[in-house]
Amino acid sequence: MPDLSALEAKSTSKVELSADLRQVVGKDNVLDSGVNLALYGYDAYLEERRPDAVAFVHSTEEVVGVVKVCNKWGAPFVARGGGTNLSGGTVPVKGGVVIEMIRMNKVLEVDRASLRARVQPGVFNLEFGNALAPLGYQYLPDPASQKAATLGGNVAENSGGPHCFKYGVTTNHVLGMTVVLPDGEVARLGGKAPDTPGYDLTGVFVGSEGTFGICTEIVAKIVRLPEGVKTLLAIYDSIEEGSETVSAIVAAGMIPATLEMMDQLVIEAVEASIKCGFPLDCATVLIIEVDGLKDDLELQAQAITDICKKHGAREVRVAKNDAERAALWAGRRGAFGAVARITPSYLVCDGTVPRTALPAVLRKVAEVSKKYDLKIPNVFHAGDGNLHPLILFDWRNSEQKARVMKAGMEILELCVQMGGTISGEHGVGIEKMDAMRLCFTEEDIEAQVKVKRAFDPKDLSNPGKIFPVAQEVAHAG
Amino acid sequence: MLADPSSLAQKLSALVGEEYVLTGPAAARFAVDAVVPALAVRPGSQQEVASVAAACSAAGASMLQWTDGALIGLGNPPSRLDVVVCLDRLTRIVEFDDANLNVSVEAGVPLDALQAVLSAKHEFLPLDPAQSDQVTVGGLVQTNASGPRRLLYGSLRDWVLGLRVVLPGGERIRCGGKVIKNVSGYDMNKIFIGNLGTLGIVTEATFKLLPAPATRATVVGVFAQLSEVGAVVGRTLESFLLPEALEALDPQALASLGPALGLNGAAGYGLAVSMAGSRETVERQVRDFAALFGEGKALKVETLGAERADAAWRAIRDVHAKLPMGRVIAKIAIPIGKTLDLLSAAEGLMRRHEWRGAITAHAGSGIVRAGIEVGAGSDLEPLREAILSLRREAEALDGSLVLEVAPLSLKRSLDTWGKVREGFSVMRRLKAEFDPRALLTQGRFLGGI
Repeated sequence: MPDLSALEAKSTSKVELSADLRQVVGKDNVLDSGVNLALYGYDAYLEERRPDAVAFVHSTEEVVGVVKVCNKWGAPFVARGGGTNLSGGTVPVKGGVVIEMIRMNKVLEVDRASLRARVQPGVFNLEFGNALAPLGYQYLPDPASQKAATLGGNVAENSGGPHCFKYGVTTNHVLGMTVVLPDGEVARLGGKAPDTPGYDLTGVFVGSEGTFGICTEIVAKIVRLPEGVKTLLAIYDSIEEGSETVSAIVAAGMIPATLEMMDQLVIEAVEASIKCGFPLDCATVLIIEVDGLKDDLELQAQAITDICKKHGAREVRVAKNDAERAALWAGRRGAFGAVARITPSYLVCDGTVPRTALPAVLRKVAEVSKKYDLKIPNVFHAGDGNLHPLILFDWRNSEQKARVMKAGMEILELCVQMGGTISGEHGVGIEKMDAMRLCFTEEDIEAQVKVKRAFDPKDLSNPGKIFPVAQEVAHAG
Repeated sequence: MLADPSSLAQKLSALVGEEYVLTGPAAARFAVDAVVPALAVRPGSQQEVASVAAACSAAGASMLQWTDGALIGLGNPPSRLDVVVCLDRLTRIVEFDDANLNVSVEAGVPLDALQAVLSAKHEFLPLDPAQSDQVTVGGLVQTNASGPRRLLYGSLRDWVLGLRVVLPGGERIRCGGKVIKNVSGYDMNKIFIGNLGTLGIVTEATFKLLPAPATRATVVGVFAQLSEVGAVVGRTLESFLLPEALEALDPQALASLGPALGLNGAAGYGLAVSMAGSRETVERQVRDFAALFGEGKALKVETLGAERADAAWRAIRDVHAKLPMGRVIAKIAIPIGKTLDLLSAAEGLMRRHEWRGAITAHAGSGIVRAGIEVGAGSDLEPLREAILSLRREAEALDGSLVLEVAPLSLKRSLDTWGKVREGFSVMRRLKAEFDPRALLTQGRFLGGI
């Protein structure tokens, strides 16, 4: 581990650390006062810890400079984008420097002939989409937080989103990057050309939660916008029937672009905050979208409608125009925010199960809710089997928070028992470090530590994340 | 060299049974680039692979994983080789969870055999490397082989959900899992896909699957000029159309594939397009491509139904491997927009030297594959120069040229992989972390790893 005691002992050195950072990025681009540090010490998870300084960077060269300063002082660093992380990934648990990437926000190149774009990590996911759409292209991963989540954060977390059921997650669409390694060396991984010889470092960097260094440029795959899209809303009086429909659609040989599910508690919250037209008296809804060549979309929509009805849907609505479609998606994308109307805090479980286990796991989540006397609304990527039970609580009630943590762990255990895993798209961060042992052996985890050491032998890049606490990353001495 | 091969042979016999430990001439059949192993061992289970690795490691023996003969040629000549670990007995389909569209399968299962099992449940794994009748799951994962359909479906990195790997000391690890979204810890699958056995021995893979399409069709066309092919490719990539594969053929490839494509005696450049999906979308695309080919001045256009198309694509994928022994197969990877430029460059060199062979390109994916016949006793220097010049051109575009197959004499003077790039230090450290004593597949990989 980095020598933290030494860092503490040199608290005057924090002043010198800031001074060195100002040398690199300019005096206006470093924050080191109390309030400012507090602002950069938390994300969308439930913990906080102040960094020693925040540095705003504008180029790969500046990132190199900042990382070298961190090396000089043995200070850990964490790259930060929109701060939307749900597992504490951007919380600087060991102090050090928060490297704020948000000003590296340019789309550098859209190469339509090669179906690739080069973008900086501070570009918001939605902003990138908006830059491509007028050209007739899109970048497929679409996390629900896309308005505020940056592409750099998406890379760090291997973010998913509703459309990932058909199109895959971030790793399937990021084929190269420029990274600043934790010792300050600049590396180019992958690129516009496919199959770069050597190990697929791009692939393992995506989803490394900021622990392998800092990505400063992304080569992303872009594709044409689809010729046609149809969006359906299937309404159910029982959650069981809704979740059975999901597997039935896939069993019929169809891969819709999205297969999203929201239950009654979520629908109520959404309707209270944005009127999207979801019925308030149903148990659950599925938002199903098919896209592609227009020739068979009508048939696919009809086939899906039939399956939904056969499995007990009381009504299936087809969005008649873009406005109706947008309303459905506004409801889904606004769900996490809307739920905040019910209680001040919630813990999002991100467990994933094989699709066919959905009905069973939802029953168990309901049992957990009763057992711990906690409200648990569900909004999730049903096609992927990726649950998001939101365990509601009030952070001021510490007894309740303790129950929430236990309930969350119990749900993750259930997911693993059913052949699934502890995180589908939010990352391990600090939230699920101990849950890693639910799905991996010591040998499995040790192999992951080897990869961490290969990228970051001194454990400076976002330390204190992912691995169960006892796992030593840095070599002794 | 291994100090005491017979003592290791005894230990391995105790682990896997005497009949599965080969020595002398029987082991020599497993020579790689003329480097002859002292022993070859055929473990019968994943656990036996682990025990074998532990025993070899304890004896300080260097190991090389043999998956299938089809792909063993990839890589620089090994700098040391004591024991070949052959996975041909690992042939179990561990679990086919058709309802959840995934399958777990051992490394020794041939790809075509796996596809047959999947197809009985109307599912498929959308990977289509050359020689799929011989290529095994293990070979596929270790080499990251791919084929024309990567246009629509991507490559192995998009389809592997999980792996089981034996590390050089005999530890068994699991990477990933069975679910399609999984960010629990690092995406460890990625470092093992295409690792050529330098980090670990992949013993089992879990793949994501797709429902089999209702129907397929292929449209093939003949063009007088490569620029005409390029124009059709460009218009296709700008369109809403979603073909599975878009393969350009140089005149030699077209000539040798003529019978399979229903284009006997055709002269010029070829373009083959494969469509899959519902009847409605396939019929529409067949119409649209026939029109695109026509507007693009195709001299001839043929449409092949599903059955003929299957044989045609097999022939396209295998066209280089069918060249006589002594051949060179080079895989050039460049940005998609430059694909046909490199096909043109390769064809120009072959034409100038009057070399026989075949060049194909995944025209929408940035891959050109050039197969060249090398006559016995011919002067290799012009060939070496030509490959180096193509490699320079590819590397100038931030791409690469990898020698997939080459005579040993050429391999000795020409690196398989080309130059290393910024960030190679991480690869070297990765190798050192996983295989500190460098016992696995020594010297075959990029930068001497």
